This record gives sequence, C-alpha cells and structure tokens, in this order.
Amino acid sequence: MGLFENLATAAPELFTIKTMILMMVGTMAGLIAGAIPGFTIAMAVVLVLPFTFSMTPVEGLATMIAVYVGGLSGGLMSGILTGIPGTPSSVATTFDGYPMARSGKPGLALGIGVWASFFGGVIASVVLMIVAPQLALIGLEFQPVDYFSLILFALTVTASMAGDQILKGLMAALLGLLISTVGSDVVFGLPRFTFGVDAAAQGFAFLPVLVGLFAFSRLLGDVRTSEKAHQRLGGEEAHAVHIDYLGSAREVLRRWGNVIRSSLIGVFVGVLPAAGSTISNILAYDQAKKTSKESDKFGTGAIDGIIAPEAANNATAGGALIVMMALGLPGDIMTAIMLGALLIHDVIPSPSFITDEPQIAYSIFLAFFVANFMMLFMQSFTLRAFVLVTKVKMYMLTAVILFYCSVGIFSLNNITYDMWTLFIFGIIGFVIRALGFPIVPMVLGVVLGGIAEARLSQVFARSDDILVFISRPWSLFFLLLGCFSLLFPYYQKQAKTAVWARFFVPALLIVQSIPVLMMPGIVRPSVAIIMAVTGLVMAAYRLKFRGDPPATERSKQTS
Amino acid sequence: MSLNRDALVAVFFLLLCAVMFIASMNLPEAMFGQMSPALWPRIILVPLTLLSALLLVQSQRVPVEEGAASKKTLAGWWEHNKNPIICFALFFLFLITMPIAGMLLGGLVYVFLTLCVLGGWEPRKLALHAAISLVFVVGMWAIFTQLLGVLLPEGEILRVY
Repeated sequence: MGLFENLATAAPELFTIKTMILMMVGTMAGLIAGAIPGFTIAMAVVLVLPFTFSMTPVEGLATMIAVYVGGLSGGLMSGILTGIPGTPSSVATTFDGYPMARSGKPGLALGIGVWASFFGGVIASVVLMIVAPQLALIGLEFQPVDYFSLILFALTVTASMAGDQILKGLMAALLGLLISTVGSDVVFGLPRFTFGVDAAAQGFAFLPVLVGLFAFSRLLGDVRTSEKAHQRLGGEEAHAVHIDYLGSAREVLRRWGNVIRSSLIGVFVGVLPAAGSTISNILAYDQAKKTSKESDKFGTGAIDGIIAPEAANNATAGGALIVMMALGLPGDIMTAIMLGALLIHDVIPSPSFITDEPQIAYSIFLAFFVANFMMLFMQSFTLRAFVLVTKVKMYMLTAVILFYCSVGIFSLNNITYDMWTLFIFGIIGFVIRALGFPIVPMVLGVVLGGIAEARLSQVFARSDDILVFISRPWSLFFLLLGCFSLLFPYYQKQAKTAVWARFFVPALLIVQSIPVLMMPGIVRPSVAIIMAVTGLVMAAYRLKFRGDPPATERSKQTS
Repeated sequence: MSLNRDALVAVFFLLLCAVMFIASMNLPEAMFGQMSPALWPRIILVPLTLLSALLLVQSQRVPVEEGAASKKTLAGWWEHNKNPIICFALFFLFLITMPIAGMLLGGLVYVFLTLCVLGGWEPRKLALHAAISLVFVVGMWAIFTQLLGVLLPEGEILRVY
C-alpha cells in the first residue's frame, strides 16, 4: 500500500472524539510541563505513561506524542517571558526571544516561536512519513550482527555526548548494560546475578529503572538545599500576554529558508542516537547566525534567532521517531519511553513494524502531524495556566510527583517489587549524578542491554565465526562509526589546535567508504566512491598546507 | 596514591567487576551450540574493568579539588545532602509500611511528611501541606482505582475494596 492509502486506513483510528480530546489534554499538559524550568519533557511523558495503560495503543501513543510535541514548544514560553529556558531544547530561544520581549514585543516574540515550532514540526512529520518506511526497508536488510553493532554504535555516541567526561559516559553505558543482565538470561531463562534474592530473578523492568534513574534522582537534586526547594517554578517575571499570531506568521513566512534549513538540521540531529533537541536548537541557531545578513543583530532580538532554535527542536522529535519506528531502537530518553509504551501494548517495533502494523504506525505519524496544529492553537490558553503554575514552589511539586511516580510504577505490573526497583534506582541515579556520571548513557544501556544480548545470541546460534562482525558491511559500518564517535569529543576539543584533527573528517569519509563499497547494488558503491574521492581530495588539500589552513581560509576564519 | 572522589569510584567499580566476574563463574557453560549465559556479562565486564582502571590512573593525575572544604566535613556533607537523604528515608518508610498502611494512608503520611521536611513546620504551612496531601493523594488514588481500574495496595489498617 502507498503512503496515502496507509494514512487513510489509520485516520479513522486516530480521528475519534476520544483520541482528539486526549491529545488536546496531552498537548496542554506538555506545554505547561515544557514551560516549567527544571521540569523536563521526558518527565512529563513518564508521568502521562500510567494513564495510557488502559487506552488502546493508538490512543495511548497519540496522547504521549501530544505531550512530547507540547513539551518541545512549551519551553519557549518561559524562555521568552522570563529568560529561563523551560527545557534545555529552548536554551537558544532565550538568546533573542528574551531581548525581544524585553524591548516591548513579547507577543511578537511568542508568536514567532510558536509558528516556527509549528512549521518545524510539520516539516519533520512530512519527512517522518516519507523517510521512516524507506529506512525500515533498509532495516530489513539488517541481520542480528548488524543490529548488535548498531546498538554498540548508539551507546558510543551517547557516551561521547558527555564531552570531557567520555570515560564516565562509557562506564555509565556499560553499567547500564550490566544492570540489564540481572534476572533471567535471554537464552535459557536461568537466573543470573540474583545473589540469593528470589525476586531479582524477574530482573528489572526498564520503566521503573528509567523513572528512578532519570526523574526520581533529578527531582531530589532540585530540592537539595532549602533555598532551591523554596524557589518558585518560573521565577517572578512570568505574566500573560497576547500572542500576535498574524504579524508573527508574516515574519516567519518571510524567512522560509531559515525555517526549512533549521527544520532539516533538527530532523538530522534527531536521527542520530542521543543527539536530541538540546543540541539541535544550538546548532540551528549557530547556522542561522552564520548565514544571516544581519548576524550582528543576533543576541539583541533577531527574528531569525527565534525561528532557528524553535523550528529545530520540534523537528528533532520527528527525526528521533524515524529511527524508533523504522528500526525499533530508541535513540534517546523520549523514544525509550515511547518504546516502553509500545511494549506495554504488546506492540514490538522492528523494521517490519510499519508494514505489519500499518494502522498503528501511520496513526503515530498522523498524531505527530496533528499534535503540531493542536500546539499552535493551545499556546494562548496554556500561557495563562503557565503563569499560574509558575507560582508553585519546587518542593510542593517534588513531594507530589514522587508519590505519583510510585503509584504510576506500581500500576505498570501491579507489584510492589517495581516500586522497590524505583527506589533503588532513584538512589543509584542520585549518587551516579552526584559523582559526575551522565545518566542518559546508563538509561540507554539498560534499555538496549536486553536487545543487544538477544541479537548476540542469534549471531552465535548461526555461526561461531566472529569475523562476521567485520565481514558484514552494515556491521562494519556501525563499528567503524562507533570508533570515530569515541574520538569525536577529542576532535571537537582540538579541532583548531591539533594537526591530526584537521584529518578527522577526511579519514572518516575514506574509512566509512569501505563498508559502503562492500554493499550490494550500484547506488551505494557509487556513493562510496564519491565519499572516498572527497576524503582523499580533502586530505590532499590539507596535506598541501601541512595541516594548516591556507592564508585565504585563515583570513576568512579570522574575519 | 591520593584518595579523591574519582579514585574511590574507580576502586568501587573494580570491586564490582571482580564480584560480578566471580559470580559469572557459577553460571552454566554453553549448551547445544548456544551462547553461554556468562558470555554477555563478561563482554561487558572486561571493558568496564579496563575503563575503571583508566579512571583510577586518571584520578591520580588530576589536582585535588579545592573550594569544596565545607563538603569534606561530615557536617558540611550532611548539610549538602540532607534533603535528598531524608526524602529517600521517607520513601523507604513508605514502602516498608505499605502492607500495614496501604497506598492511601501511607501515601498521605508520606506526602505530608515530605512537604513538611522540605517546606517547613510552621502552623500555617502545616495546614497547607495537609490540604495538598489530601487533595493530591486522595485525588490520584481515586483516579487510579476508580477510573483506571488499578487495585492499589490496601493496608491492614484500612480495607477499602
């Protein structure tokens, strides 16, 4: 079936009054949660998750996607009105949004942010609908060994996002994998690492682990001192304003190039494992500044400076969903929670998921599209609610949410064991965070550990030859990419000083062209040749100048 | 050897790896051409051990952190971590008393105490905290049991089903 037939099949499932109401409530909840500084979108989706247990898969996932989209857009409210980003994905929005609001145009600034978020989301949903089924077709080529290597790559990228702390990032990812081995082994179902505790034989359900590591530990970190506990959620500055929808729409449409570029940056970053909207909004802002004719106005209330981060952060959600839907692998916390929601409803994402379950898959695509429209129209109403919520003190929210987390986690399997898991991993998360370890690699390690072991066991069931890891093109591709991602933080740090760093990109292109050349067909080997030639030309160019940029390039960089 | 924070963490990880490695010896070997249950954990433990050793080496090169003197004394450490530790202790009590108090009563006490510990014990605040606990705990309990059909644990003190 084609795209439109599939969408037509999914539409009646999604466009029911109940689902639409649920999505509206979800969008509103997401907008408010996203607007509260320190309250992450992931936490909002985690809190909504227990309510979806009694819903159908489409209703539940549509609600969660609405929260996700709302959360991504909600951050702009506090960012623009108070200068404090509601979520890390709105950090760059404050650079120009807040100065514009301070200069007497808060309604225009909010309108620009809202429209940019909307267009970013719509562009991403179109890309999602077109690209995800194609990527799933590529995913069908993957054998267990390729999947295993892809998981290793995802974990190395996640660890490398820790920057200077890459060592701790890797250790956190490995600790996450180790935690996932507790319980029954995937091949024989024998108890493993239970140390005499019978209950531990069932292992740790990953949602209690995820909520414990992520939400529980973070909330307690937020009330560490008495001053922090008594802080109001949104500072004192938030006040309701009238959003200038018409004027801002004109301004955004006039800058359509920036909207499309920033959206595509967002989608691309979303596809990469672990690189979420926290990175995409800064990257898009940077690109908008570099390409703008009015770059000197950035930081003082430039319209392009609001458009770029907001279009990018909403588009990132589409990119993240592409990978989860097409390959069944979560790339970040958000999609890990989504995966958990799918599994609860007995829906197992894999490359054949889109073709096997088109109704659910295309309902998710449509829900993402529709949620952006809901977000657009609900910003004005939510703005008033946001102003009220900002008056609440942090400790009140913490106490209530901690209880709510425990109720939600209990309702997952109706066993108190999960609440103990939540408690234990809350402590582990708090301690690990305090010791400077990043949490995301650990969470992904726990989520991906079981999948990795299952794939590895399939590899060994087929053959004992470990050379299969480098003889399969996709496996080699991901393993090599994983090696480069481990070097990436050092490249970033020394890009302007070390000679070797100037050969990083050419080496990446040349090395990655080898597995691509091994792939069947004509297109991919042709791409490999282009990659190799480009890499060689770049290397030769840089060798000619002994690793230093030529005088003209240097002067450009200086200027 | 200086015993800074990272060094202690590295030593802990090395001990953890040793314990897990020894525990993996008790797992059965490969059968019927399948992967041994011990293989995957060992694949994880080898790099984790190496990275822990690397962290230990790295921790010896880093100069001792200054400006954290207040945290180094027991009183400073307690002051810095008091709130989270008390919250964890209250949550532990909430879980351990679950069979007696149940989710409803236990939840009310837990939320009220957490609010008071974090927010203060002044009479006006006590009333506010009691109201918040009552509204949110009873509200959530009602939503989950009546609307979503989840049978939350009931205690020996209060039988509700």
